Amino acid sequence: MNSESLGILVDRVRKDVRENLETTSGKAIAVGFLVAFVVPFFAGGYSLDVATQALIFILVVTSWNFIAGYFGILTFAHAALFGVGGYAAAILAAELGIPVILAIFLAGIITAAFSLPMAVSLLHLHGAYVAMLTIAYAEIIFFVSVMWRDVTGGPTGYTGFPALFGGDRVLLYYFVLIVVALLVAVQYLFTINRFGLVARAIRESEDAAQMLGNNTRRYKLLGFVFGSTLAGIAGALQAYNIRIISPPVLELERMIEFMAMGIVGGIRSLSGGILGTIVVYGLMEVLRPIGGARLLVWGILLIVAILYFPNGLIGSKDQLGSIQDRVVNAIRERLGR
Amino acid sequence: MVSVELLVQQLINGLFFGGQLALLAVGFTLIWGVARVLNFAHGGIFMIGAYVGAFTIAATESWLLAIALGMAVTFVLGVGTEAFLIRPLRGRTEFDIAAIIATLGLWFVLEHSMRLVFSSRQRSVDPITREIWIVQDIVINVNRMIIFFISILAIGLLFALIKYTKFGLAVRAAAEDDQTTKLMGVNLPRTYAITFGISTALAGLAGVLLGPIFSVYPSVGDRPFLLAFIVVMIGGLGSVRGTLIAAISLAIIRAVALIWTSAEGAMILLFACMAAVLIVSPEGIGGWIES
Repeated sequence: MNSESLGILVDRVRKDVRENLETTSGKAIAVGFLVAFVVPFFAGGYSLDVATQALIFILVVTSWNFIAGYFGILTFAHAALFGVGGYAAAILAAELGIPVILAIFLAGIITAAFSLPMAVSLLHLHGAYVAMLTIAYAEIIFFVSVMWRDVTGGPTGYTGFPALFGGDRVLLYYFVLIVVALLVAVQYLFTINRFGLVARAIRESEDAAQMLGNNTRRYKLLGFVFGSTLAGIAGALQAYNIRIISPPVLELERMIEFMAMGIVGGIRSLSGGILGTIVVYGLMEVLRPIGGARLLVWGILLIVAILYFPNGLIGSKDQLGSIQDRVVNAIRERLGR
Repeated sequence: MVSVELLVQQLINGLFFGGQLALLAVGFTLIWGVARVLNFAHGGIFMIGAYVGAFTIAATESWLLAIALGMAVTFVLGVGTEAFLIRPLRGRTEFDIAAIIATLGLWFVLEHSMRLVFSSRQRSVDPITREIWIVQDIVINVNRMIIFFISILAIGLLFALIKYTKFGLAVRAAAEDDQTTKLMGVNLPRTYAITFGISTALAGLAGVLLGPIFSVYPSVGDRPFLLAFIVVMIGGLGSVRGTLIAAISLAIIRAVALIWTSAEGAMILLFACMAAVLIVSPEGIGGWIES
């Protein structure tokens, strides 16, 4: 890349950032990020744990949005890969004595390795078939985590791995905040560049995107593996946050919770993922006193969101997207499909 | 070395279980074939059928009444689901995905509202009969055998309905080409709603029948649903015949695999089969036999 095209790239990023900062959600996220830095001064104990947890969920949900919302690949394997990252980070640190911070990033790479065969086999499938195949993968990973006692600790889970920062919750919070902020920023840079444009083109019409000369398979592969890597890193952070990693972490029910957060916020943007996580996870914390009935609320949220807010709370500002929808529909109708 | 008796025993167990599995799977595949809905609440509806059956049997001790009520309640539930949850989504560009999400939500609502009302306690249900036949060291559980025959009968009736009635013709036409079907004067929304009701009523029947075997609790539908899901994917989504073949063969594979491995190991094997079929031929077995 020569210096001229790099200059254009930097200019475009600067322009996009400036434009996005002027929107309400952009402002809210910027303010939220600044507020996040002072949270430990006000919150300790349980509320700090809630804040740490929310940050980790933001990384999972935005990376799911990255795959499902931008590319239209509705993956159900995200929670399972989140669990793979958790197991990898815990086992690497405990069994091989790898420093924890390094183990967390290695966990991301291991998760990427797990997601690659999935990504390849998903390339030629669409819509509901993607959902089915990823459910099969997720269930295989889940049952292996239950069965493979020697490595995963079986149904009761894996514990006794070293703590990060000697168990200091405030340091852990800042570490999680910085990792999550960086990785969300990387996703943002991806989405405002050519990569994000092609991703959305693939979602609207893969054939059209391909005809325009894009190697759509390479984009889908890269998008799926990158999003899954982030899920793995989030899982690694989760393992050090709750100090145990067990099969329920990667159950289908967790996946539905991640999906609910993404869908309520709006799956077609990263800000939707952030907003959805904060609103839904916050609501669930407020509802903690009602206990098991909260799971009922998850279900109701999903139904209400899909019936009445298909574009999530953030709404679809992507006017171009909806126009494209109409054009694609018109063409499909002409062709009688 | 595995003894012949054990192998035959597991083959018979597999066959009986396959019939029950087919009952659950056929409804699931039917509604995909006709209306392009992957109903993730199918296991939840199975559970509702199981509860209705358990209460009816506890109150009246009549299996006929339990089956009738269980199917009636789940039929109404299915028609309601189609009318209030699925119909508003129709016409969206990503209808199949929206329907998955909506029915996932319904699954959560069904399971956790039952948990709120009846707690997670397992209710046992008396079987149709406790009789057991022993033929040459092979145990035949008569209850399971009766359930197998009822399942096969119900699936046979479904085949007949689809093949020989005017409604069945409309169903087949809608599966083939919904727009043309509409032009031919078929009331599509009604066809979808009734098909949905039939699909869920079959799940309800499976729930009533399997109550005594699994006992009844709010998440009782989850494992059978996962199995039915695998069956349907391997049998070929939308192919009722492929599903029937896949149900029986997978149940036999599972039963034989259980000689060597745990229930989890068998699930891994089945999901691996499913992934392999999806990768090689997304149309499943149905894709070969229907063409």
